[in-house]
Amino acid sequence: MMATPRTGIFYHPSFSQRSYLTVGRRLADFPGALEHLLALPQVILFESQPVSDELILKVHTPDLIAEVAKDPL
Amino acid sequence: MVAAAEHIWLGELINAFAFIGTGGHHAGRDFFGGYCCFNDVAIAIERLREAHGLRRVAILDTDAHHGDGTRDVYQDDPTVLHVCLCGTDHVSADGTKVDVAVYRRCVDAGSRSDGVYVEAARGEFAPRVRSFRPDLLIWYFGFDGHRGDYGDLGLTAACYDGLVSLTLELAGEICGGRLLVVLGGGSRTDLASTLIPPIIARLADAGG
Repeated sequence: MMATPRTGIFYHPSFSQRSYLTVGRRLADFPGALEHLLALPQVILFESQPVSDELILKVHTPDLIAEVAKDPL
Repeated sequence: MVAAAEHIWLGELINAFAFIGTGGHHAGRDFFGGYCCFNDVAIAIERLREAHGLRRVAILDTDAHHGDGTRDVYQDDPTVLHVCLCGTDHVSADGTKVDVAVYRRCVDAGSRSDGVYVEAARGEFAPRVRSFRPDLLIWYFGFDGHRGDYGDLGLTAACYDGLVSLTLELAGEICGGRLLVVLGGGSRTDLASTLIPPIIARLADAGG
C-alpha cells in the first residue's frame, strides 16, 4: 500500500538563486541534494508561496514593510 | 513557512522542513537586519492563531545568534515559549522567554562542544516545554555555529543530529509529533548540502 506523505519540504527555486545573503547561494545544491528523500513515499515537496501584506501586518508595522521594500538586499 | 505550519496543524503532515530565502529571527515588529526581513516564524504563528485556533507554541532557537526579533514580537506573550541558545543567560519572570549562554561553554568544551550544546538544549528546553504543553513545536535551525561558518561554535553534524533527536522526541511526547523545522543562519554551500538532508531524513523516519 502506498504510504501517505507525512513529511513536507517547503522550498522555492529562488532560494537557490539568491538565498541567505552572507554568501548568496548557500542553497545552490538544492533541490538536487534532496533527490533520495523525494523518492520516499512519505515525503512531499511543496513550492513556497508569497503571503499577503495583510498577514505580514499581523506581525510587522507598515513602516517595516516599506523599509524592507527600499532595502537594496 | 506559513503553508508548512498550516499543513501540520490540519493533520495533512506530521512534520516539515521549511527552506527560506532570507532569515527571520532578527526581524522584530518594527526593525529588521542580520539578513532577516520578515519574521517567518511569527507570521506562521499568527496565521495559525487567527485561522485555526492555535493556543500555545514553543520555539527552540539554535541559530548561533540571539533571536532578538522573535523575542521582540513575543516579549509580553505568555502563550509563546521561546528558548534561545546564544551568548547570554536570561529567564523572564514568567519563565517563557529564556536565553541560554552557550558560547563560553562551547569554547571551553573544545572538541566536546557538540555534546555540551545538545545537553544545554535538552537541559533548558525539555523540562520547560514539557511543563508548557504547546500545541506545536518549532525548531529554528541554523548551521552558522558549525565549524568554519560565521558563527563558529565548534559544532559538527553530530550536534544537529542530537538536536533533531531532541525535538522529535519532545514533539512526539507533547504535541502529537507536530514539529516544524525552519532554516535559519549558515552561509556555506557545502555545509547546507551535507547537514540539511540528514535532518529531513530523520523527520521522514519519524513521520513514516
